[in-house]
Amino acid sequence: MKRSLYPRLAWTGIVKNKVLYLPYIVSCIGSVAVLHVLQCLSYSTLLKEMRGGRSTEAILSLGKIVIALFSVIFLLYASSFLLKRRFREFGLYYVLGMDKKGICAVAAWESLILAGIGIGGGLLTGALFSKAAELVLARLVQGEAGFRPSFTLESFTFTFSVSLVIFFIVFLRSIVTVLRTDPIGLLKSESTGEKPPRSNPILAISGLLCIVTAYVMAVSIESPLNALLFFFVAVILVIIGTYLLFIAGSVALCRLLKKNKKYYYRKDHFVSVSSMLFRMKRNGAGLASVCILSTMVLVMISSTSALYFGKEDNLRRSYPNDVTVSLMMDGTESLTEENLTAIRSSYEKVIADRGIEPTAVREYTYSGISGTLSGNHISVRPSDFYDPSALDALRTLFFFPLTDYNRVADDDLTLGKGEAAIYVISGKYEQDTIRVENTEWKLVTRLSSFFPFEDTELSLNPTYFLVIPDNSELNELNGMRDDYGNPMLDVRYYYGVDMKDADLEAFSVSDMTEPLQSMELFRDGMGYSGGNIADARGDFIASFGGLFFIGLLLSAVFIAAAAMIVYYKQLTEGFEDQARFGIMQKVGMTKEDIRAGIRSQTRTVFFAPLLFAGVHLSFAFPMVWKLLMLFGLRDMTFAILTTLIAFGVFCLFYALIYRLTARTYYKIVSESL
Amino acid sequence: MAFVFRFCYNGDRKTQKGTVLTVNILEVSDLKKIYSTRFGGNKVEALKSVTFSVEEGEFVAIMGESGSGKTTLLNLLAALDKPTDGTVRLGGNELSAIRDSDLAAFRRDNLGFVFQEFNLLDTFSVEDNIFLPLVLSGTSPKEMEERLKPIAERLGITEILKKYPYEISGGQKQRAAVARAIITNPRLLLADEPTGALDSRATDELLRLFTSINRAGQTVLMVTHSVKAASVASRVLFIRDGEVYHQLYRGNDTNEQLYQKISDTLTMLVTGRESR
Repeated sequence: MKRSLYPRLAWTGIVKNKVLYLPYIVSCIGSVAVLHVLQCLSYSTLLKEMRGGRSTEAILSLGKIVIALFSVIFLLYASSFLLKRRFREFGLYYVLGMDKKGICAVAAWESLILAGIGIGGGLLTGALFSKAAELVLARLVQGEAGFRPSFTLESFTFTFSVSLVIFFIVFLRSIVTVLRTDPIGLLKSESTGEKPPRSNPILAISGLLCIVTAYVMAVSIESPLNALLFFFVAVILVIIGTYLLFIAGSVALCRLLKKNKKYYYRKDHFVSVSSMLFRMKRNGAGLASVCILSTMVLVMISSTSALYFGKEDNLRRSYPNDVTVSLMMDGTESLTEENLTAIRSSYEKVIADRGIEPTAVREYTYSGISGTLSGNHISVRPSDFYDPSALDALRTLFFFPLTDYNRVADDDLTLGKGEAAIYVISGKYEQDTIRVENTEWKLVTRLSSFFPFEDTELSLNPTYFLVIPDNSELNELNGMRDDYGNPMLDVRYYYGVDMKDADLEAFSVSDMTEPLQSMELFRDGMGYSGGNIADARGDFIASFGGLFFIGLLLSAVFIAAAAMIVYYKQLTEGFEDQARFGIMQKVGMTKEDIRAGIRSQTRTVFFAPLLFAGVHLSFAFPMVWKLLMLFGLRDMTFAILTTLIAFGVFCLFYALIYRLTARTYYKIVSESL
Repeated sequence: MAFVFRFCYNGDRKTQKGTVLTVNILEVSDLKKIYSTRFGGNKVEALKSVTFSVEEGEFVAIMGESGSGKTTLLNLLAALDKPTDGTVRLGGNELSAIRDSDLAAFRRDNLGFVFQEFNLLDTFSVEDNIFLPLVLSGTSPKEMEERLKPIAERLGITEILKKYPYEISGGQKQRAAVARAIITNPRLLLADEPTGALDSRATDELLRLFTSINRAGQTVLMVTHSVKAASVASRVLFIRDGEVYHQLYRGNDTNEQLYQKISDTLTMLVTGRESR
């Protein structure tokens, strides 16, 4: 009899409080299912057989870690709601003579039941959805989904053990909480009056400072490398700032509103301001979490979708031709017509030997150098580069001889000695002259466009293209060596060729460069960059597709978590407000007044996080954009567009959550009306 | 609409004050309330037929056991519920004739409520709790403070105005609730078991308070099953099984004498029923 008592108490506790437990169980099942789906995907044949599948797999395992950690945090948070409501029941058991051991036993059974449902349901749902997820991923990475069922015994055991650990942590927490609360506290925990929080201006101001610092950081950082360094600093500052601002700042704001008697003592403000103030301390944390989750979703979706949908553009920029070879030359002196002709004919022979008819060929020579800019002077002394503060002053210059430029761009530019034409890729340059070490050019023409240029290594920092009369103007730079004795000027011969897709499949860049090694010119070794666009496309699709997939999955999880937080918030508030609105009605408030009050209050509280998330997103954009540039994205309008679309779609989801959860609240509250 | 009501009532009230002419502020005739379960199966007759009236300035107590229909009656008087049959006229207005949309305003302007469980809102300070009905009818902050000052002094709650309900004692809570009920100058103060949650000292204090408010001209209708509470009233109505069964007038009796009479009546009611 006694042995079956505890599980029975635990079970009836769950069934009777199903309004509370159902969403919790759904989140348990959801967490396990998402983990299981990810695990199934890593075992699927799709990734094993796919080109670049390894990078997708690596991204997925990163996602698994994030999901597991997030599940722990979120389930701890959600279960704290349950615990609070169950405490009264536990207190009653205590009064009726059950000792703490017994209460712990009930709590343990409860955890066991929930974990059982969560893991069982999660494994099942995960297995069901894994095929669908595999198909989605296959579509994104343009691979073939196999026909085999996508779950295996290994994936089952993995998910099972990880979930067990997660649920055990949640269980430990509830036991510790029960043990640490005194029995009378158990009985009273729900009814103790809570003093409206004191406003803490220091906290509010430091929250504001955190956010402003992060914003300034995000807006003012120019170099993508610095953006990478400071991105996480900014993220952490924003998270801390948001929590402080929502908890302390909103209290301070409500207090301020309350002090203004003309504002406060009005029918439509009186009730909402005071009840917002009353519960802000508790709900501030929840709202801040919703805000941060929303921001994360927005940043994730906008950036991964920009990368994914911008991949072809991105690819084309790195590969202006289907096959590109950018050959490193010893110095400008080796760019003789004789040398270039020898290389060119070697290339042409390789292509002709394979029976390939090029659809287009583009070739030119250029030289590149980096340095720090001050005024109109670029210093290329390498010691300057190691200073992080110099990152923002870092500029990259590319020099194109006039004849090459005119031929490739089909232009008829003319330049005198010491004159140059400038094309600015990113950043701006407004001086009339530019001096690199001791060589100065007068900028006579500003070009508004330039021919497609392979830029695998450029434009992380502001980049200038200079068309100069001929390579003799680079004599000073050509002779400069860095600390290791390597030439500082990077002199190259670019050769790009377009061909039919069928020819491209079997063609490799090394086929073109192999024969060059026997040339006298490359006796001391040979360096080149470039490749086959088809190879690169596979890699791009695999990594950006994988990123986008993880972005979608994590966003779904985060949105679900945000919805759950909002649901619990509405639920607890509904129970609190039930009695309150009954009283107000007796005192002479009309149902309409009450409904309007509820509407404005829930709306304010609900849409504040969205508003903040929107502001966060717009300030984060400059920084995210710099990071996207690191991944090779260059089209800012496109990135802005994807961000706006992401925000719009998210708003729709958010409004949907609002409608669904607000209904729960109305239902509870209207029982008293 | 609310404005019109207030205008009429405040108007005739002033002319009648101090005259010998007695006016019935509340007329309840043949009031009937039947509750039916959702599927119309079981019908419960909460009020069979209740008829009585309250004159301006009276202090009426309504007594009855649990389940006698007291709370139903109070809900009907407060227009929180609709009668199955019969009418309630408050200050000449029939409650059932008032449109739903105007009811809240009517209630706010004409009725004050004191409840057993105080019904103070814990999100508000004591002061704001008292202001609530005034805020609802759009009174300016300045006027609210002017109105509160004398009332708070009379009820001895000036010190606790800035505190929150969970920081004060039961007696203080009930005095705050009384302040909230009378700050609108209601025509009728309805009290539902106001001493039910108070200890004996707080009960005595509250009853003294009711007496003094009544002496100042406030009409009071109190529902209670406490003999002690009823013994401060000027008239006591007894309800049993949904009907007014008996009534006692104070006449020149002291509280103690009325207490004795009420006790006797209750005894008679109980034994009388048993002997039947």
